[in-house]
Amino acid sequence: MFKLLKYEFIRKYKLITMTLISALVLNLYLLTRGIAGSSSFLLLFPLVLAVLYVSDVIRTYSDDLNKKSGYMLFMTPNSGYKIIMSKLAAAVIEGIGMLFIYFLFILINGAFIIYQTRSYVDINEVMNDINTLLSGNIGINLGHVFVFLFAVLVFAIGFIVTVYTAMTIRKSIFSEIKFGGFLSFIIFLGLNWALTYASGEFYSIVSPQYGSFVNVTTVSASELLVIMFPVIAVSIIQSIILTFCSGYLLEKKINL
Amino acid sequence: MNENEILRIENLTKKYFNKTALEDVNMSVEKGKIYGLLGPNGSGKTTLMKVIAQLHKQSSGHVFINGNPLSYESKASISYMPTENFLYDSFKVKHAVKFYADMYKDFREDYAMNILEEIKVDPEFRIAKLSSGLNGKLKVALALSRNADLYMLDEPLNGVDVLSRDTIMELISKSYDETKTFIISTHLVSEIEKILDSVIFLKDGRVELFGDAEELRLSKGTSVEGLYKEVYKNV
Repeated sequence: MFKLLKYEFIRKYKLITMTLISALVLNLYLLTRGIAGSSSFLLLFPLVLAVLYVSDVIRTYSDDLNKKSGYMLFMTPNSGYKIIMSKLAAAVIEGIGMLFIYFLFILINGAFIIYQTRSYVDINEVMNDINTLLSGNIGINLGHVFVFLFAVLVFAIGFIVTVYTAMTIRKSIFSEIKFGGFLSFIIFLGLNWALTYASGEFYSIVSPQYGSFVNVTTVSASELLVIMFPVIAVSIIQSIILTFCSGYLLEKKINL
Repeated sequence: MNENEILRIENLTKKYFNKTALEDVNMSVEKGKIYGLLGPNGSGKTTLMKVIAQLHKQSSGHVFINGNPLSYESKASISYMPTENFLYDSFKVKHAVKFYADMYKDFREDYAMNILEEIKVDPEFRIAKLSSGLNGKLKVALALSRNADLYMLDEPLNGVDVLSRDTIMELISKSYDETKTFIISTHLVSEIEKILDSVIFLKDGRVELFGDAEELRLSKGTSVEGLYKEVYKNV
């Protein structure tokens, strides 16, 4: 598994490095535009990063299934389960890495904003200042941001696994059928519908247990985590089931 | 099961859309021999190899390696070289060697580096920039640097110049010993005839002729190339 992961990142490192250098250059440029530039960067960067992240993890798997270079991976004596798990582990690590990088940018830009307003930077105060800044107008703190970003990561992985499963079905069960690409998209929509329906049913059962929090005006980060727990748990369970299905198909039915 | 048998194929059929690539293929491959898998383009050679290498799943039938049904574990016993350029473009040659060393327990890294030096493939070269001749030699070098039971080389002489073909033939001959089995697919029969112990002629996805190369030469009174022309004269 570790070796598979290693080569996942060897294949990605150039793209990741280029993205980071571009982000750094853009951020440095926007810092010259003062607080407004820095704030714009902090708002726009996560959106760009999210799009790049999702497209990168989908493209990597798509290349393995649809290009001849995929033979290199699928010829190795690794089970389908191990291959799909390594893909997901790489996606999770990449996602966490990107979150971490975003937080580094928050720290850099936060320090810059503080320096612009006070003309000095006390490193010990930076985290508190950012927290204060975040809680100033919209009533959230760094804890809320962490919970929110964690949930986003879980949902992103759920989405990626669904896409992976649709692509795997296309290259296994439906590989000998015409219009497979279109079929793959239909499968993805079908899977999404089925999962949304199943999770909707689940929420309707558990929501009475969690409804009491919804009316609370100020929700702490830990309360937010509790409120979001069913949604996050369902997404994780879905991801596990779909990963298992993909692993089975890669193992038993694949046609590259 | 024959003790000397490394590969057995029973009633193997592979269909794509409305095309049948392999139909009811049956064969037994013995250890320590070099088999020529012969046939023109589209006869099913590549499909057969991909099914054995588990890159394709058969529509029906069974394949056994060392008496066991195909599984991901059997990939450890098979060194397969696809005919396509399958190595990661972004890798340097040394990265591809490292990849093989990491993924296959039987890969001999030093042996591979020696071969690369011998065939003048610089480990620092980027794979995307290799000529088709160098790429062909690299693929063969990687496949032969494994210490596998069964080697399957799909069109190893395709797209390479005459000198490179000689180098590749030399590499195959040097790698062979009686513990290893080779299946080499090609339509360039004359180039490979001299090293073949047995031949498998595929035609329209079916085994048209299978047998010991020398016995066929004697019984039919012609070379394997002559037989090839005879079998495929109307194709």
